[in-house]
Amino acid sequence: MHRAFVVLAAAAILALAAPPAADRFRAAQRRYWVFQPVVKSAVPAGAAWGTNPIDAFAGAKLAEKGIKPSAEADKVTLLRRVYFDLTGLPPEPRDVDAFLADQSATAYESVVDRLLASPGYGERWARHWLDLARYAESDGFRADDIRANAWRYRDYVIRSFNADKPYNRFVEEQIAGDEMWPADLEAKVATAFNRHYPDEYNAQNLRARRQEILNDITDTVGSVFLGLTFECARCHDHKFDPILQADYYRLQAFFSNISADDEFPMLSPEAHAAYQKKLAAWESKTADIRARMSAVVKAARDRQVKSRYTAYVEEVKKSLDKPADERTPMELWMADKAKYFMNPAEETLAAGLKGEAKATYKRLKAELDQFRNLHPGPLPKGTGITELTGEPIPAHVLSVGVYDKPLEKVEPGFLTILDPEPAVIVPPANGKSTGRRTALAKWLTDPANPITARVMVNRIWHYHFGRGIVGSPSDFGMMGERPTHPELLDWLAAEFVQSGWSMKHMHRLIMTSRTYRQSSAHRPDAAEKDPSNRLLWRYERRRLEAESIRDTSLAVSGLLDRELCGPSVRPGAGSHHRRSIYTFLRRNSLYPILEAFDLPDTHLSCGRRSATTTAPQALTYLNSEQGMEWARGFAGRVLEQAGPDRGKQVETAYRLAYSRSPGGKEKDIALSFFAQHESIVAGRAAAGGKLAAPENLPASVSRVEAAALVDFCHALMNSSEFVYVN
Amino acid sequence: MTGAPRNNLRSRRDFLMRSSGLSSLALSYLMGGTAVAAPGKQANPLAAKPPHHAPRAKSVIWLFMEGGPSHIDLFDPKPELERLAGQPLPASFGKPVTAMGTANNTLMPSKRKWKQHGQSGLWVSDWYPNVARHADDLTVIRSCWADGLNHVGSVCQMNTGSILGGRPSMGAWLTYGLGAANQDLPAFVVLADEKPVTGGPKNWSAGFLPATYQGTLFRRDGPPILYLDNPDTVGGRQQRSKLDLIAKLNRQFAEGKEEDTDLLARLNSYELAYRMQTAAPEAVDLSQETEATKKLYGIDEPATARYGANCLLARRLVERGVRFVEAYSGSGSQWDSHTDMEGNHGRMCRSSDKPIAGLLADLKARGLLDQTLVVWGGEFGRTPFNEAGDGRDHNPWGFTIFMAGGGARGGRTIGTTDEIGLRAVERPVHVHDIHATILHMLGLNHLNLTFMHNGRAERPTLVGGKLIEEVYS
Repeated sequence: MHRAFVVLAAAAILALAAPPAADRFRAAQRRYWVFQPVVKSAVPAGAAWGTNPIDAFAGAKLAEKGIKPSAEADKVTLLRRVYFDLTGLPPEPRDVDAFLADQSATAYESVVDRLLASPGYGERWARHWLDLARYAESDGFRADDIRANAWRYRDYVIRSFNADKPYNRFVEEQIAGDEMWPADLEAKVATAFNRHYPDEYNAQNLRARRQEILNDITDTVGSVFLGLTFECARCHDHKFDPILQADYYRLQAFFSNISADDEFPMLSPEAHAAYQKKLAAWESKTADIRARMSAVVKAARDRQVKSRYTAYVEEVKKSLDKPADERTPMELWMADKAKYFMNPAEETLAAGLKGEAKATYKRLKAELDQFRNLHPGPLPKGTGITELTGEPIPAHVLSVGVYDKPLEKVEPGFLTILDPEPAVIVPPANGKSTGRRTALAKWLTDPANPITARVMVNRIWHYHFGRGIVGSPSDFGMMGERPTHPELLDWLAAEFVQSGWSMKHMHRLIMTSRTYRQSSAHRPDAAEKDPSNRLLWRYERRRLEAESIRDTSLAVSGLLDRELCGPSVRPGAGSHHRRSIYTFLRRNSLYPILEAFDLPDTHLSCGRRSATTTAPQALTYLNSEQGMEWARGFAGRVLEQAGPDRGKQVETAYRLAYSRSPGGKEKDIALSFFAQHESIVAGRAAAGGKLAAPENLPASVSRVEAAALVDFCHALMNSSEFVYVN
Repeated sequence: MTGAPRNNLRSRRDFLMRSSGLSSLALSYLMGGTAVAAPGKQANPLAAKPPHHAPRAKSVIWLFMEGGPSHIDLFDPKPELERLAGQPLPASFGKPVTAMGTANNTLMPSKRKWKQHGQSGLWVSDWYPNVARHADDLTVIRSCWADGLNHVGSVCQMNTGSILGGRPSMGAWLTYGLGAANQDLPAFVVLADEKPVTGGPKNWSAGFLPATYQGTLFRRDGPPILYLDNPDTVGGRQQRSKLDLIAKLNRQFAEGKEEDTDLLARLNSYELAYRMQTAAPEAVDLSQETEATKKLYGIDEPATARYGANCLLARRLVERGVRFVEAYSGSGSQWDSHTDMEGNHGRMCRSSDKPIAGLLADLKARGLLDQTLVVWGGEFGRTPFNEAGDGRDHNPWGFTIFMAGGGARGGRTIGTTDEIGLRAVERPVHVHDIHATILHMLGLNHLNLTFMHNGRAERPTLVGGKLIEEVYS
C-alpha cells in the first residue's frame, strides 16, 4: 500500500476507535481523593486531648477553628449511649448500679468489651448490614412470594458480627462464598447477599427479568462495597464520577452467570447422605402409591405445563426443547428459570382437583401418610447464588441500558480509572462456575484497594456518630459529601486493614475515644463556629431506630424474649416478643410499628436511614395494642418491685425507663398526675368502662390505681427521653 | 365509626401558653411560624412550603382506572377500524410485541355509539354518558404512551415514573414540594376499590424521600387510619390527661435543648396525632352529606355506590386541604378486558361514569373545580386487534387520559393516535410529560423539585418530562 494511504488509514482508524481510556477522564476525576491510595499519616502531635489517635485528629481540627471539645458525658448518659449503640437495648438498673459503683480506671472499657462480646451486639449491627443488603423475605412485585429460607442469611450476618469475622472474609463470602469455600455451608448462605433482589418469578420476558436482576446486583454491589453510584452509568458515562458506561457492564459481567439457588441442603455431606438414604427407603416403600397419586394429577400437570410452555417466546421454548447438555449458557439459565413452571409441585396441582379425582387423591394421600414415620422429614434448605456452568454468558454494553439493545461485548473488569485491563479470571478446578466473582471478591479485599476499607470504616463511624466522616456513606463520588476529616478516615482505613479487618477493633477504638464520649449538650460558643457539629465538638443527640424503639419497649416491660436466631416470626397473629430483627420482613407489607419509625423500603440498598417525626408515629405508640401491652407489662414490673407506694413506683419506673432517678420537680409532676388521673380512671370504672391492668395484680393495689399506673408507664414510653440517645 | 375519641380541644395557643418552659422560639415554631432548623435536621417536614411559581391548582384528585381502559371505546373514535374489521394488522403498522402475543389477531372495531358533546364538540362514547355532559371541562390527551407492558410495571410507572419500584410516587413528590395544607390530616391519601391495588404500597411509597411523604391508604372499614382510635381501655378524658403528662415530660426533656427542633417537632406530633383522631373520622363521615349529594355521586345505586363513595370522599378530603387523593376504580386490574370487552367495560364504565360526573359537578358547584386538578386514566390503553375474539390486549403505545379543573382549559383534545389507535403519532405525551404538567399546574417545576439521593439530584421525571402547555394555556 502506498505510504499516504497507510497514514490515512491509520488516521481513520484512530478517528473511529474510542479515544484511549487515558483521555476519557478529566484531571479532576483522576485526582479525586477516592481513587488515591490510602495513606496512614502520622498522628498529629501536641494535641493534649487524650491518647487515642482519633482524638488527636479530631482535636487538631477543632483547635484549628479555636473550638474546645465538650466535657465527657455523665456516666449514666454514657452507659445508655454505649448500650444502645452496641446492642440496641438499654441497660438494666443493676447494670447502671454496677457501672456507677465501679471506680476503676477501666470501668468504661470493660463495659464496651462486655457488650461487644454479648450476642445482642450482632443482633444490633447485623440490622445495619441488612439495610445495605436490601434484605427481605419476599420477592416484591405483585405476587410478593415468600423466600422461605432467606432468614438464614440474616442469621449468617448476626453470627458473622458476633464472631468478629474479618471484613475481608465477610465480603468474599458474600460475593463468591460458593466458589471460594465450596464445602462451607455458611459461605454458601452468605452469597444470598446477591439473592435479595426484588424479582417477579412469573415474568414471561426472561431476558428483561435477567437484566433487571443484574442491574440490581450491579447497583447494590457498587454502592455497598465501593460507595459509588454505578447506576448512573447504566445508560451513559457517569456525568460526574469517573465511571464509564462500559465500567457498569464490566462490573455486571462478574455476575453474568449467576442463578438463584434456593434449595440447597443445609446439611453436611455425611448428614445429607444419611438423609438421602432414609428418603430412598421411604421412596421405595411408597413408590406405588406415589405413582398412583401422580397419575391422578397428570391431566392437570400436562395442562399447566402446556399453557405455560405455549406462552413463552420462541427462544425459551427452544431452550426447553433441547437436552440440557446442548444448551448454551443463556439457554441453561432460561430453562432453569422455567423449571419451576415445567415441574409444578404436586400439592399445588392437587389443590385444584375436583370431584372424584379429589376424593381419590385424598384417599391415596391418607395411605401415603401411613408411612410418615419412615420419612426423614423436610430437608433443611438454604438460599444463595450459584452458577449453572463454567462457560460465561456473554456480557455487552447495553444501548441506554435497554436489555435487548446490546452494543460491544465486554469482559469482567474493574473501574477503568483504576485498571483498564480486563480482570484476570482463574476458573475453579471443578468447572462448575466461571471464577469471575472470586476475582471481584479478591480485588475488593486487596489491601491495596483504596476504596473498600474507607467505605466500611466510614459506615462504622456513621452508625456510631449518626453521621459518617463522609456524610453520604453510600456515595463517595463527586456529588456525595467530602470527608470532614480526610486524614482520620485514611488512618482508620489503614488501621482497619492492619488489624486484620476487625470490626470489633474499630468499635473499641472509636468508642473509647474522648471524641465519642463527649456530652451532647449544646454550646453556643462552639455552635457559632461550627453550627452543624461537623468537627465533632459534641456528641450528636439521636432518635433510636425503629427496631431499638420496639426492642427497648419490650425490654423495659419485661416481655422481651432473648432467643437468638432461627426462622422469622410472622406477626400476623398479634404481637410477638422476639427482637425486631426476627420479625418476618415482607417487601410489600412492612410491620406497621417498624415502618412508622422509618424502617427503610427493602427494594433498594439503604446506607442512611431517615429519622422522621410524624403524627402517625404518635398514634402508633399511643393507640396500638402492642403499645398498651408493653405499658401493662412495664406497670406490672413496677408494681412487683415497688409495691403500692406511688413515690416508690415513680422512682422504679424512672430507673427502668431512663436508667436514672426522678428529680424533685419530676416527682411532683408524677404525683399530681396520679392525683388527677386516678379520678378520671375512677369515673371511667364507675361508668363500666374497661380498664387496663397488669397481670398478677397484688391485693394491695386497686384496679383503678393499677390502670393509672399503666397510663403513667405508657406516658414514659411515649416520652422523648425514652427514644432519644443523649 | 366506633370508639372515635370526642376530643374536647382547647385552642392550641391556650394549650401552649399554659405550659411552662417553652422558649419563644419554640412557641413560634409550634404556632406554625418559622424557626430555623439546625442544618441536617428537619423541623416539621410537612409545613407548608412556597411553590416555585403561581399555582393553578391546590390539590389533585387522580381517578385511576386500574387495568387499562380502552381509549378507542371511550374517547378516541376510530372509523378506520370499521373498514379494517376482521383483517390482520396492516404491515405498515409494524408488529408490536404485546403482553399476550396478540399482534397477529384481527382488528376489532368498537361497538360503541359516538357523539360529539358540549360546545366544544368533544367526542365521548355512549359508555360515559354522564361524564360526556362535562365535555367542555375536559382536556382529553389522546396521544399518551408509556414504557411498561404489564400491569405491575405500568401502574408503578404511572404513579412513580418508573416501571420498577423504589422511587417516590407523584403524591409523595407533591407533598415534599408543597407540604401539607391541613396539618390534621395526611397530605396524600389513597383510596382503593374492592381489591388491593396491583403492586401495592410501592405505588404510594415515598421511595428515597423521607417516609413522612408517603401516601396513607385509607382503610375501607373501621377507622380510616391505623391506630386512629384510642385503645379500648382508654377514654377521651383519660387520653387527654395522658397526653398532658407526655407533653410535660417532653418539655422537661427539651429544656436547655432549644436548638434541637426534633424535640419540638416531637412534642408537636402528639398534639397533631390527637387532632387527627378527631379530624380523620370527621373527614370520612359521609353521613354528613345530604341525600341529594349522595345521589349525585350514585351512592344510592348498587352499581355506583362503591366508587361514588370514593369520589365523594375525595371531594371531602380536598375540601379539607388534602393535597393529593388517588381514587382507584377497579383496583386489582379490574379494567383488564382480555376477553369480553362489552361485559367488562360495560360494567366498569357503568360503575365509574356517574360518580366521576357527580364529582365534577359537585366540585364545580362548590367552587372547588378551579383549584382541584382532576386526572382520569389508567396505566395504558387497549389494542385495536382482538384478543380471544371479544377482548383487547394491553396498549402502552397509544392511549388516552383526561384532565379537568385546576387550570386545565377544558373542551380540548390534544394529540392523536394513528388511524387505528395503536400508536401515538401527533404530539406524543410520555408519562413523564404528564407528571411534569401536573406538577407545573400545582406550582412546581419538575426540574427544580429535586432530592439528593446517593449522589444524584433525583427529580420526579427522571431524565424526561416536557410540559404539555396546551393543557393550561
